[in-house]
Amino acid sequence: MTPDELSWRAQAPRPAPRARPRGRWAAALVAAAALGWAVTGAGVRPGALIEGRSGGLRLLRAFAHPDLTPGFLHLVGGAVAETVQISLTGLLFAVLLAVPAAVPLAGNVGVPSLVRSAARMYAAVLRGVPDLMWALLFVATIGPGPAAGALAIGVHGGGLLAKLGAEQLEAVDPAPVEAIRLTGAGRFTTAALAIVPQAAAGLTSLLLYQWECNIRTSTVLGFVGAGGVGQELAISLKLFRYAELSTLVIAVLLLMLAVDVLSRAARRWAGAAA
Amino acid sequence: MRAVDHLTVSVEDGEQVALLGPSGSGKTTLLRAVLGAVAVSGRLRVGGHDPRDRRVRRATGFVRQGDDLVLGLSARLNALTGTAAGWRARDWAAACAGRVPAPHAERLAELAEALGVADCLPARAADLSGGQRKRISLIRALLPRPSLLLADEPTNGLDPVTAGTAMEALRSAGATLIVSTHDLALARHFSRVIALRGGRLVHDGSYIDDRTAAAIYGGGVPRMTPGAT
Repeated sequence: MTPDELSWRAQAPRPAPRARPRGRWAAALVAAAALGWAVTGAGVRPGALIEGRSGGLRLLRAFAHPDLTPGFLHLVGGAVAETVQISLTGLLFAVLLAVPAAVPLAGNVGVPSLVRSAARMYAAVLRGVPDLMWALLFVATIGPGPAAGALAIGVHGGGLLAKLGAEQLEAVDPAPVEAIRLTGAGRFTTAALAIVPQAAAGLTSLLLYQWECNIRTSTVLGFVGAGGVGQELAISLKLFRYAELSTLVIAVLLLMLAVDVLSRAARRWAGAAA
Repeated sequence: MRAVDHLTVSVEDGEQVALLGPSGSGKTTLLRAVLGAVAVSGRLRVGGHDPRDRRVRRATGFVRQGDDLVLGLSARLNALTGTAAGWRARDWAAACAGRVPAPHAERLAELAEALGVADCLPARAADLSGGQRKRISLIRALLPRPSLLLADEPTNGLDPVTAGTAMEALRSAGATLIVSTHDLALARHFSRVIALRGGRLVHDGSYIDDRTAAAIYGGGVPRMTPGAT
């Protein structure tokens, strides 16, 4: 066989041109109709804000005079500390509940589809029930207080972290994963040495974001008796004590700012360490 | 789309083969097929076994064309991952503590010394140059003493001296070796050259003359130097 005879051989196959998606205009129209329906149904009218401005201004004026008496500030400090405790305990529970589901949920770990389906269902149930419902359930079970809030945040957050954590794990560069898998390494080894280390910075960022969410959520859950600064907010609101309400809102804002600064510093550290 | 078609090739135990062809000729796909990483519609066996068999994979070392280190881990741990499939609890404990599991310490030091990356081992892979990462990938493939070594353009991104050292390390590993390359000068160092074009076999033998080279590259290629084989 001479090279000339070989030269007729097949050309390298050319990839087919990518087809343009059809029905883009129809999809845009459907999206616009859905948004119009949503805005109309929600009853958002700029006129309503102008008509009811006097009520809002009265509340804002009351807010200009926060209650800064030492006794109340001490109570606020305790409530803020309790909120932080609830958020951190909730985060711990959420991680413990999320890890067994996040790893099998990630497609690149390669667990059998039955296990993956079970993990998906488990995560969907945890996050599908609103945290407020979980809080009501735990308040009814173990009584009002921070423990109910921490459990509610933990259970709901566990479902969220499982889904979002799995997405972080799936988003890693596939080349190192394949490199280790092709050495005959099993799922655990591949996940431990290639998938999790690559996702470490993203997972850390996700945990910090979940912590911020936990702080906000625990404020709301306090309204159903789940402890923290939210419980104090609910009491002041019911008794129309706007000065106390103002102090509590300022405390929540300061807490959120502090959490933001802390988590930004932690993200920078995690980015450098990963 | 079939990247490789109508190919019948057999490589003997201990043989060292260059897989030659222009970009897009199917070299990488063929190597990945031998690794069991792509679907094959024919019959492909490695030592009589399915290439996806875990025993086959443990006995196979692979050097990928591109970057495939875990950038957040140290170069040392990246190199060691080649042996991780056989780790026991004490090996995991050693690796987690930043130490080299005892069975691999001496060979890792030897390979790192030979490839000139001994000083790089404690550094994060992200902090290494492309050439250093390539050499760590080589160590990862060589460390478990594989009986089959597949290397996809292993000298890409390496300077000529380091490329020579890398090739020497691959050839002296005592394994059946298949090296994919588009470099005629590199291919001529092998006793057997399998050439692909457009996913089909166009040459399988020990000698590539200018006309064969022209057939492989469609005429638009660097010609062989006089006397080259």
